[in-house]
Amino acid sequence: MELNLAIRVFEVLLGLSLLLQTLEYMRLPSLDRVALWPLMQHEIPDRPAWIKSALNQVFRPLPYQCFLTLRLVLALALMAGQVGLMGSLVLFLMALMLLLRWRGAFNGGSDFMTLVCLTGLLISHVLGAATTPSFGWQGGFWYITLQTVSSYFVSGWVKLLRPEWRKGQAMTLFLNTGVYGPLPKVSWYRSPRVAWASTWTFTLLEGCFPLALLDVRLAMAFCVSAGVFHFLVFWFFGLNRFFWAWLSTYPALLFCAGAW
Amino acid sequence: MDFTNLLILAYFVLLAVTLRKRWGIIQGPWLFFFRAFFPNWKFYHGINPAPRLYVRGQTESGTWTDWFLIYPRLPRKLIHWVHNPAVNMALTHQNLVDHLANDINDLPAEGDVRHLITYQLVSRLARQAMQGDRWGDQAMIAIEHPSNLTAFQFEVRMELPEGASSQTMLQSPVMPLWN
Repeated sequence: MELNLAIRVFEVLLGLSLLLQTLEYMRLPSLDRVALWPLMQHEIPDRPAWIKSALNQVFRPLPYQCFLTLRLVLALALMAGQVGLMGSLVLFLMALMLLLRWRGAFNGGSDFMTLVCLTGLLISHVLGAATTPSFGWQGGFWYITLQTVSSYFVSGWVKLLRPEWRKGQAMTLFLNTGVYGPLPKVSWYRSPRVAWASTWTFTLLEGCFPLALLDVRLAMAFCVSAGVFHFLVFWFFGLNRFFWAWLSTYPALLFCAGAW
Repeated sequence: MDFTNLLILAYFVLLAVTLRKRWGIIQGPWLFFFRAFFPNWKFYHGINPAPRLYVRGQTESGTWTDWFLIYPRLPRKLIHWVHNPAVNMALTHQNLVDHLANDINDLPAEGDVRHLITYQLVSRLARQAMQGDRWGDQAMIAIEHPSNLTAFQFEVRMELPEGASSQTMLQSPVMPLWN
């Protein structure tokens, strides 16, 4: 994938992912009566004192809505290709503040991958300012690509090391615990053969993901397959943010796969 | 094969080797909040006992209800693909239960569980559930139960999927429902 095209698609997809996340964050105060900041703030270390004090100011109801509105505007600006070094720095700092707001993660792995993308964006702009924009983006894209490929590689192989996954038993059990579960009585995934075949298909896909770096056509095939996989993860577990967070990384991966 | 290829190959070989190694846990409040910088990418990797939250209520006459499992179960909608605040909130609540179980395991012998923020958050979740709170359109307790409750109690149990085993990890004191 050509660098300028990869940059544009990356910005649009990451901006969209941030936009969707932010719209969800904006809805939460009216839905959630449990994870309230006045209680959660007690976990923030007292030193340095200015951090806790600043967070307590920002996470009051009105400033928090302004904070989220700013993130929404920056997400739209990113989609329009209008975010530079300052904008990427602000988005990165906002991500750190959201980690503090939600005890390190609101939605687990999707927050981690969003941070990877925002770190890659920041690396691109900082490195680009110090050298050339092209070199900066290449640095940022390689950071995102190595993290993305590692995420699949580790996730696949830790499963293949476990007998319950190799036998195909684990998938049905986990699908039954999904937020949209349990599986219907007649679901295909209750069939041991289908469960075994599905398990090996996606764990091998994940475990072999580094091969995507060998060729851009191979990378495209891996990305399409992984996109389907993430949609299924949403379908069974409700993890919509994972779909958009990982999708945002594919332009970087496609660029890097075609860059050598 | 050039040097870059070799470096990438070496990286994945190293990653594969480290998968089998058990690393010590580096702890600290800032590291906990910023653990996103060190993702381990291990999702659903093994079937192990997982924490589950149960609550029960007490009526004015002192009768206890059954124990109710508080676990996110919501109806799927295609719109959730792009906008899913209720499900993500429910999953965050379940994460609080998971974190409470971890905190209990890490609690020193002389520690008081009630001082843990996770304990206070899960108490709040249990109370909200007994008061009829919802995840979106879905009641946290989907089963009909008496409305004239005055007190509640919760348990955290470590359970294997499909009820293969269940062990109580924590039982809270009886607490007033409205305060």
